[in-house]
Amino acid sequence: MERILTRNVDKPEALTLSGYEALGGYQALRKAVSSMTPDAVTDEVKKSGLRGRGGAGFPCGLKWSFMPKEVDPKRPHYFLINADESEPGTFKDRLLMEKDPHLVLEGSLLGAYAIRAKAVYIYIRGEFVHEAKVLERAVAEAYARNYAGANILGSGWSCDLVVHRGAGAYICGEETALMSSLEGNRGYPRLKPPFPAVSGVWGCPTTINNVETVANVPFIIERGADWYLTVGKAPKNTGPKLYCLSGHVKRPGVYEAPLGLPMKELIYELGGGMLHGDRPLKAVIPGGSSVPVLRAEDCDVDLDFDALAAKGTMLGSAGVMVMDSSTCMVAAMARIAHFYHHESCGQCTPCREGCGWLERVLNRIEAGNGMQQDLDLLLSVSNNIIGNTICALGDAAAMPAISFVTKFRDEFQHHIDHRSCLTGTLLLQGVR
Amino acid sequence: MPKLVIDGEEIDVSAGTTILQAAQARGREIPHYCYHKGLSMAGNCRMCLVEVEKAPKLVIGCYTPVAEGMVVHTQSAKVKQARSAMMEFFLVNHPLDCPICDQAGECRLQEYAVEHGTGISRYTESKLALSKAVDIGPHVMLDQERCIQCSRCIRFCDEITKTGELAFFQRGERSQIGIFPGKRLDNAYSGNVVDLCPVGALTLKEFRFKTRVWYLRNTPTICAGCARGCNVVVSVGQQQTMMTTRGQLDDRVKRIVPRVNEEVNAHWICDDGRMSYAKEQGAVRLQAARIGGENASYDAAVAAAAAKLANAARAGKLGVIASPRTLCEDLYAWREVVLRLGSAVFGARSLVSGDNDALLVRADKGANARGAAWIFGASSGEDAVLAAVAKGSVTTLLVLGDTLDPADTLALPVAAKGKVEVIVAGPFASGAAADAAVAIPSASWSEADGTYVNFEGRAQRVRRCHLPLGEARPGWRIAADVAASAGAPLPEWVEASDVLRALSAGVKEFAGVTAESMGLLGVAAPAAAGV
Repeated sequence: MERILTRNVDKPEALTLSGYEALGGYQALRKAVSSMTPDAVTDEVKKSGLRGRGGAGFPCGLKWSFMPKEVDPKRPHYFLINADESEPGTFKDRLLMEKDPHLVLEGSLLGAYAIRAKAVYIYIRGEFVHEAKVLERAVAEAYARNYAGANILGSGWSCDLVVHRGAGAYICGEETALMSSLEGNRGYPRLKPPFPAVSGVWGCPTTINNVETVANVPFIIERGADWYLTVGKAPKNTGPKLYCLSGHVKRPGVYEAPLGLPMKELIYELGGGMLHGDRPLKAVIPGGSSVPVLRAEDCDVDLDFDALAAKGTMLGSAGVMVMDSSTCMVAAMARIAHFYHHESCGQCTPCREGCGWLERVLNRIEAGNGMQQDLDLLLSVSNNIIGNTICALGDAAAMPAISFVTKFRDEFQHHIDHRSCLTGTLLLQGVR
Repeated sequence: MPKLVIDGEEIDVSAGTTILQAAQARGREIPHYCYHKGLSMAGNCRMCLVEVEKAPKLVIGCYTPVAEGMVVHTQSAKVKQARSAMMEFFLVNHPLDCPICDQAGECRLQEYAVEHGTGISRYTESKLALSKAVDIGPHVMLDQERCIQCSRCIRFCDEITKTGELAFFQRGERSQIGIFPGKRLDNAYSGNVVDLCPVGALTLKEFRFKTRVWYLRNTPTICAGCARGCNVVVSVGQQQTMMTTRGQLDDRVKRIVPRVNEEVNAHWICDDGRMSYAKEQGAVRLQAARIGGENASYDAAVAAAAAKLANAARAGKLGVIASPRTLCEDLYAWREVVLRLGSAVFGARSLVSGDNDALLVRADKGANARGAAWIFGASSGEDAVLAAVAKGSVTTLLVLGDTLDPADTLALPVAAKGKVEVIVAGPFASGAAADAAVAIPSASWSEADGTYVNFEGRAQRVRRCHLPLGEARPGWRIAADVAASAGAPLPEWVEASDVLRALSAGVKEFAGVTAESMGLLGVAAPAAAGV
């Protein structure tokens, strides 16, 4: 198939603005600001069916259309790019920013134009030092060539581009926590409503999109929504998608394919199959560590928003984590729980207290000190977290816990009953 | 006016009201920690989760505005389950040190644990160990372990005092309330964070480990710290039968906390007002009457005072200086005595120091300065009396009440000393009482019922919080006895409200002011209301 989002990732010349232009770059932005109204851009994106690539899969054009049509001079519009890619198993935005920064900028500017933004803030994960430098160099070039700044390409529209580095907190990838952090405050998620389109960063109307989402936009504008609809599974799962394949496969990495790529094709064809020929597939987490796990027998599924939802899980950030038969599901879940315990912001009670509780119980089971009531306790604590928190981090910790315990209950039970692991590695007592 | 249904009851409330407020208005309490009426919304404790029909999940009552046709359940199985879950989460890392915790007995965590908890904890892991006694300011101690992170104290310092000393540090389960490096929680209102704290994380240094709260007797009264007249609750120790077999009486003020009055002090008081009782307790009280510096019986002192006052008043050589903290009833009674006997130059001391601050504190420390001006006449200040002393036209001085600062208990100016014969009716042994011809002990601020008028002309009820010390009596009672002894009796007054009735009939600014009209929250006197 034609590579769309990743067409430039192996072309070093794309790193410079002139190289990117020579590869056909910035034509979409020129087209938009010279011949399209902001609403026409939004409509085209709406028509394309592009859904947000950050995890929730919300229709992008619809999100843009929530913004006020007139700009109140006292409350300018802001366009935020969520480049705080921190979901375990996810590394797609990083690739785009590192290898094709101008594509990210062009997409960002198109979105900013569509929502009549005064500025674009690219909030980039603090650990992405190199990527931030690449982006900053690209931003300077874009300013020099008048793709950003005052009166862009003579259109009368002005928009600033700012790269803002986070300080290394998973929670700042949550859109409202990102806004708090961008404002210089503690990265706490906010109560909704008001939604960002009404009151976002600095209390102004704001739209926030994932890096990969905006990277789709230049292609939609340049080639048209009708073309975009031919990629992937129309009408609700259109366009190209970056899949992050990791775990027990021969060739882990980022793979581009139309939305709806069969999971088995990703693992066995693109990924080269299981890492060890004698260890069959056991489980897959299809969308980053926060989504429910799938057992091997449920893996005949297309990797798109709706097919995975039908299986009770989510496409999420498309961080496909493959686990073979040697994986201890208790250890895997304990590791996931450790992450969410560490990253919970602590603002609201269920997540602050519940995530630590989950991790401690899981560690105990993993270490061979589990008690018979622990599995029901894990499910109960998880259920007490879900839906009762300000943001989705609590859910992100609880959903995998529920899925691991229910789908691999025999393994957990074995840990408790025999103080050893079904994967047969060693006696557990005193390991941790 | 959206109409909604809460637990089957149809309720009509104004738009913008939250579910929690709407329920509260109907006496339905939705449990909450982080919500406080005087502070911004946080929505982080998740205790007030309620079920709204057609909503996909539970919503927080403190934040969700009511809407037309909304159907709310605050007692459904789902809500009860969520509350019990939240209680369990709160107690995961909360120490069970209630037996040594000052908050015990007025702790929201205890109360809700009883009401909404399961009674047992399924948490068998070890709890976080954190600092138990962090000295964060002159009045406040912090116990990190007890904190449930409701953020009320942080919001108070950010929004009310705008001093921002407190913040969360660390993240997740490890996050703690703390103070910024190099800072102290030393703003003028720091004690309020202790009242705001729903648990025992923030305690008042002056109160911690002093008594259990269930031994306190609480009286709603008015702070005498300045002309604001903040509404407060004064707590005094009571008979501690649990502690001693003999039933020891511990009849002293233990603490002062604010009482909500949106018109006067909202939810707060300043630290000076909160600690004002300590100044009083630190002073030497006049416990028995004195004549010429020697202890005398009350009756003898009253007779001596009556004779001296009658002579001076008849001769027109009497001056009266009153503290602006003296109750209206006392001022009025003394005025009536003097006017029945003759005439006098009246003056109230001015206690202005410092500036008005942006929140509550007034430069005028005279809690009843306005009331004194109404009763004595607006033009009558202490200066007028002292000028008359200097001229020799006043030879006898009646000194009433006390100032807040016992070191300056209506001390006479040097110029007046030795020139006049002084008669004192006040609570303290220092100041004018030290070399008075006659000194009669009167009740202090916390020992008598009466009325204060604040700087805005709001009449408010001061209540007796405990018995007067020694032979001290209410000022109006002494005045009445003096009047009777001088042969010019005042009407038969039994209690302070009788005096107030006479006052409201006799002084036009007080027309219509009664104990009933003042109630708990006071009333704008007609003079202040522009009548």
